[in-house]
Amino acid sequence: METHSVNYLEGRRLVKRWNGPVPAIVSLVLTLAVFYATWWIFQDPRGLMRMYTPYVGYMYTRWWLIVLIWMVYLFNYWPFKREWVERTHPVVKGVVLTAISVAVLLILIKGFFEGILGNFGLAYFNPERLTALPSVTNFFAIEYAALACLMFAAIASWLSPAWVVACEEVPWQDLPQPAKGISILVITFFLSTIVYFITMHSHMAILYHPWQEFTAITPPYWEKFANTVSGNFHVSWIMCCTVTVWLVETIWERFPFSMIERNWLRRLVAFFGIIAIAFAMHFFLYFVQELTWGEAIRGTRRAFAPDWRWLHVGEMAVFFLVPALFITFYCENWPRKYSLPANVLIRTTVTAVAAVLLYIFYYKTSHLFLGTQKGFSHPQQFPMIPTIWLINIWLVHHWFMDNWPAWKMAPKTTAEIEEDHAQALEKARSIRWTPSLGWGLGAGAAFGVLAYFVSVNVLPYFYNAIDIIK
Amino acid sequence: MSDNAKQKTMSRRDFFKGASIGVMGGVLGAMGLYSYSPMRKQMFPHVERKMADIGVCRKVKVTNISETSWFNNADLVGDIKGAGGLLVDQYSYNWPPFGDGSGLGKGSYEKGIAKIKHLLPDRLDEAWALQESMSVHPENAGGYAALIEVTDLDGKEHKYLLDSGWSYKWTDECFRREGIDRMLQNGEIEGLFISHEHFDHYWGLPVTVKYAPEIPLYIPEGFYPEGMQYIKDSGHKGPVTVVKPGLKPIVPGMASYVFAIPIICRVYGEQSLYFNVKDKGLVSVTGCCHQSIIQFAETAYREIKYENDRFHGIYGGLHISPFDDWDPKYDDLVISLGKYGFEKIGCNHCTGVLCAKKFIQAGYPVVQGTARFRSKDPAYLGNGDTIAFGMDV
Repeated sequence: METHSVNYLEGRRLVKRWNGPVPAIVSLVLTLAVFYATWWIFQDPRGLMRMYTPYVGYMYTRWWLIVLIWMVYLFNYWPFKREWVERTHPVVKGVVLTAISVAVLLILIKGFFEGILGNFGLAYFNPERLTALPSVTNFFAIEYAALACLMFAAIASWLSPAWVVACEEVPWQDLPQPAKGISILVITFFLSTIVYFITMHSHMAILYHPWQEFTAITPPYWEKFANTVSGNFHVSWIMCCTVTVWLVETIWERFPFSMIERNWLRRLVAFFGIIAIAFAMHFFLYFVQELTWGEAIRGTRRAFAPDWRWLHVGEMAVFFLVPALFITFYCENWPRKYSLPANVLIRTTVTAVAAVLLYIFYYKTSHLFLGTQKGFSHPQQFPMIPTIWLINIWLVHHWFMDNWPAWKMAPKTTAEIEEDHAQALEKARSIRWTPSLGWGLGAGAAFGVLAYFVSVNVLPYFYNAIDIIK
Repeated sequence: MSDNAKQKTMSRRDFFKGASIGVMGGVLGAMGLYSYSPMRKQMFPHVERKMADIGVCRKVKVTNISETSWFNNADLVGDIKGAGGLLVDQYSYNWPPFGDGSGLGKGSYEKGIAKIKHLLPDRLDEAWALQESMSVHPENAGGYAALIEVTDLDGKEHKYLLDSGWSYKWTDECFRREGIDRMLQNGEIEGLFISHEHFDHYWGLPVTVKYAPEIPLYIPEGFYPEGMQYIKDSGHKGPVTVVKPGLKPIVPGMASYVFAIPIICRVYGEQSLYFNVKDKGLVSVTGCCHQSIIQFAETAYREIKYENDRFHGIYGGLHISPFDDWDPKYDDLVISLGKYGFEKIGCNHCTGVLCAKKFIQAGYPVVQGTARFRSKDPAYLGNGDTIAFGMDV
């Protein structure tokens, strides 16, 4: 078997240079240092480029994430040959690939969105066209255009990896690069466009007076259900989809969908299952806010406004992604010694606890070192920017640099790859119906429901006890 | 191992596999089915109305000394953008009176105040002239300030200032136009309430201090060290009350309320005023109302007892579209405001002209202005205009 027929990430083995937790700690310290230095250069309101306006910085952060996903998940490092990816020093590789990702990012935003779409299609993608309109200042023109662009990014950052993780690249899985990458890019971009028009276009259309009824559905159809006309309702569930895709891909090892053997059914269930899980998260994280801060009041601003609450759902969701990726990238998906469902449950529990701790830490301290504002609900407080910025750096480090210097890359042999496949299949097949499994399922489900209701009852007391913002 | 023992071990393993799947399924199922269902509302805490008694006043009159915080949106927003956006520390913009000649986004309170401290509070003309040569867009600075006259049930009148503008030159001009200078010198004004630390509400403090250095000052908790130092550097010698978040009665029928909220340009906390007007209901007077007028009204509903249990009026900057920007959440406000039943709405400053027009279009009882003294549009109350609650003007 030719090892090049599998993608690079699957065909590489990362070998720790030191035992124990040292490599994870070294990697964390190193990436946090890079994070802080780059945050200061590009984003920090006190720093050099000050892109955290916030939408401009957010737009570049989101699109950079997608470009990284495209380069690795869709194009498998094309046009670089496997030999180059395997043999080049991680630092050189990191610099070259990052530079390319930034170039693609700029071409995409300046060329496609502002240049083509903003000049020949939808004016709100182009700041200059907006500035030419009465009463729109240059600052808000740029912010509005960035908002539209990043809303598109939010959708693409769910659908692009979903086509690989859930749909397993069908029907182009056997095509060579770049045909495979281009095919998946086109389909996910097409789907993103449709979802954008259904979810976000109305939001943009009511930014102007009068509402642009001729071009968009106003008031938007979600108004009554979401208790707001803001598109943040959609930002929320789409962000949850993005997080869920990566949970499924990393700490869940594509479980529970991997249990389904029939290919078409597994892919279908995985794609819509991710959306279903995301909606559960979407509703739950909204409810969490209602329990801690009280019921949202339409027309208010900040923490009591439904539109901000929905946005905050997305912000909360991303806090789950950070520990999940850390467990996979730097803790070798610990633990691995139990059954697949037990491993997944333990990792998910650890991730949830870590996410809560990270959330508390962020809101207690971020204003002290990131240049953001103290408080939860400041309109310019976007925890998604620093968290995704950190994730981007981890992706560069893990995907482009093979976790250098704490790990080294060793290509897997054909036999090792086959063994990995066999083990993954065995793990999934080992979950088969037996009476014991059935009893466990029932007891577990009852415990899960109980745990949910205990959690939501305890939550207000927990929140009051910790007093995050003094 | 015997077959029976093996069977037992296998069963236990299967049970835990099933249990792990079940726990995740149970949690996710409950999250999805219950969390946004109408049943969840049973779990919301019951809100007890505190019905705090702040007393009753006979009438309230508000004179708009200046609502034009700045004169050109494009210049102001351009400066904010150039300095790095809405999160940048306001003292670093190099706007007057803290300009030091180093350019946009490169200033600091310490460097700026060092240029003018020796001139405060008595030589404000010189201080401002100096700043005109050192700061960014000094001609764009205006300011927000309002005179509040509260008449209690015995007919006694209390006067307060809400905010003290920005530009020394403009604020002083407006004070003289409305006779505030004399009122301050005569000791007629009992206190100065600073709504929040923003440049356009607070940086004109020395103008008030020039006329009444002993005036009691009420600031919301959350001022940054620079803001606290400015009180001293302005030459203020009177008592300073740092109002904690929550309700603080002032005189019968009047109370301050501080909201602990983050605000753009690195500001924290806002103070607004409630009045309980005899036979009319609750009146809200705000500087910028970053907490939102509906939040302000909802807070009053939870906290205060007021006449007829009715919302009567609003005056102030309602902070909706101060830069002529728009967002769907503002439409949420326009749509929702009607159900609160305000009978008199006086808005200006950071409410935004577009928002005032949307209020009028929605049929709300907006008191329109005269668009004098550089105010832009009669859709809202402008400089020199007045509004009264419990009386006609």
